[in-house]
Amino acid sequence: MARSEFVETLYDSYGQRFSIDEVFFESRTEHQHLLIFHNAKFGRVMALDGVVQTTERDEFYYHEMLAHVPLFAHGAAKRVLIVGGGDGGLLREVVKHREVEQVTQVEIDGSVVEMAKTWLPDHSRGAFDDPRFELVIADGAEYVRTAERRFDVILVDSTDPIGPGEVLFSTAFYRDCDALLAPGGVLVNQNGVPFMQLDEVRKTARAFRELFADWHFYGVAVPTYVGGIMTLGWATQEPTRRTVPLEVLEERFADAAIDTRYYTPAVHRGAFALPRFVQEAIER
Amino acid sequence: MSEPTIAAPPVLLETLGPDWRALARAHGTPLLVLDCDRLRLQYRRLAAALPGVTLHYAIKALPHEAVIATLADEGASFDIATSGEIALLERQYVPPARTIHTHPIKRDDEIRRALRYGCTTFVADNVDELDKLVPYRHRVGVLVRVSFPNPTARVDLSRKFGCAVDELPALLAAADARGLHVKGLSFHVGSQVDGPAAHVDAIHRCLPFLETRRPGALARATVLDLGGGFPVNYDGATPEIEAFCAPIREALALVPPHVAVIAEPGRYLAAPAMTCVTAVVGRARRGGRMWYYLDDGVYGSFSGQLYDHTRYPLLPLDARGAPEPSVLAGPTCDSVDVIAEDFPVGELRIGDLIVAPMMGAYTAASASEFNSLPRTRIVALGAPAKLAAADERVVRLA
Repeated sequence: MARSEFVETLYDSYGQRFSIDEVFFESRTEHQHLLIFHNAKFGRVMALDGVVQTTERDEFYYHEMLAHVPLFAHGAAKRVLIVGGGDGGLLREVVKHREVEQVTQVEIDGSVVEMAKTWLPDHSRGAFDDPRFELVIADGAEYVRTAERRFDVILVDSTDPIGPGEVLFSTAFYRDCDALLAPGGVLVNQNGVPFMQLDEVRKTARAFRELFADWHFYGVAVPTYVGGIMTLGWATQEPTRRTVPLEVLEERFADAAIDTRYYTPAVHRGAFALPRFVQEAIER
Repeated sequence: MSEPTIAAPPVLLETLGPDWRALARAHGTPLLVLDCDRLRLQYRRLAAALPGVTLHYAIKALPHEAVIATLADEGASFDIATSGEIALLERQYVPPARTIHTHPIKRDDEIRRALRYGCTTFVADNVDELDKLVPYRHRVGVLVRVSFPNPTARVDLSRKFGCAVDELPALLAAADARGLHVKGLSFHVGSQVDGPAAHVDAIHRCLPFLETRRPGALARATVLDLGGGFPVNYDGATPEIEAFCAPIREALALVPPHVAVIAEPGRYLAAPAMTCVTAVVGRARRGGRMWYYLDDGVYGSFSGQLYDHTRYPLLPLDARGAPEPSVLAGPTCDSVDVIAEDFPVGELRIGDLIVAPMMGAYTAASASEFNSLPRTRIVALGAPAKLAAADERVVRLA
């Protein structure tokens, strides 16, 4: 019988493998190869171009930290923009915030959302039906260049920069995001695992330094993003967002009554403490 | 063409297996008949002649889906040179872990395309190429291509690519300084080489670089890529692969055990696996000599006569009477489109077939559509029952 396994092809000399119990969905186009399968440890796993994007069992690490850190730091975000994030996991965490009145998600490929609803229903858990939600099928970079609206929080949930998400790591894109931020608004994006891809965080730091009054990174160690902590980028013109006292975060968290598995106000504060090699890379 | 015609050696009659006339009736001419069982046999022969060596099929020789599917089924690995070849592998669900990207000169978008496919081994032979890999240095492993000039090869590849061996230490140091992981060395002594001496010499000259870890290197070298060059028997005078590889096996015994040896055969696997069937479509006596016009020529499947400097055996199925030196010409309007000048053959009539074996490598691959003549159709015999592209749900990732 043929051995059925998925070997991640992100790095030449190192990687993770998953046994495949069942393949749920696979599509290959000239642009990308999408695979959703089941694994005994991680549940349903979605891989794009040979790289794990999300799994049912560990997605909460990433989606909770991407959503709740800026939303609790802001404290009164009404309008949220999600760029990418077609699986719906990030949206699920955002709509837990009652203060949010409107969530716009810009996804380049509508079929990703449909596929996720069918095969990764636990990611969105009905969030795509939330009355505050609006889906825009468009190129995220094009959307932020032309949109007329303002957002309190912009969340960029992209693929890695080798793939089609490359433009979402450009200075021009960050500049366009800045223009869309309402006063006091916060931009958060994913910047890979610095142990493996230090250049990514370095490059983003250079762009943020040029554009934002306050910027930093915070960490979250997602099990299937191999190589240790992943860094999420933080950029805003409002420096107090990053230094909201623990007591305030605790109060907001208690008032929100949001059920989390990774996020706590203490994790929130601690996540901004970066290892020295990352500090040096971003010259902080 | 001014080169002398090579007469068909009797040994090649063994290739007259299929009923060429029936195939020509069923599919029309010109026709290329791909024999996937012969492809398997070639793979097994070379694998047996080079035990322990991982064979990466050089797709460029014959980039056809049935070839990929058959060799993947045999357990072969693959050598990629372009993004188009990656697309072909993807359609056949070849696991990227079984591929290496070996083009020494690449554009950035080609590197990214290969990484997105999942191929993480690349070849470089100069500092500019190392620099192109620097943005991806945490993801890739590098084979440094070394050049050993070999004027006896039919196609000497050491002129266009490869770092001269005396410049190798500096190039390796440059890779180390850039944080690139050099996995090993590769060389190409040429294509269709006369004997194994060049391979043996190149192996010996690579040994000093494989034995110890260089100071400053991320890791010691663990790969030696022998390239291609394994010859096939176009003319009845080429040694069998077992004999050709014997001295190479001896040289490989000196390679340290931590080094995995790989090779990139293209021609050896593909050439004997495909046969051209072409028909006489016109004839004339000019200057006292018979001219026969065929429906395939040097702008089509016989393009290898120009680009690959190869002459293929030509077997007329229907010649009548005493042979006389004749001209076999291709179907285009260009005067260069001549397959053979002094081909001894009895009388041919319109509709008669000429069968040309050994036409798998660098034939269809380099054919053009000059004169708006379509490329010759390839019919695959014995291909794996289900080409992977037919089933979207098949997963072969192991």
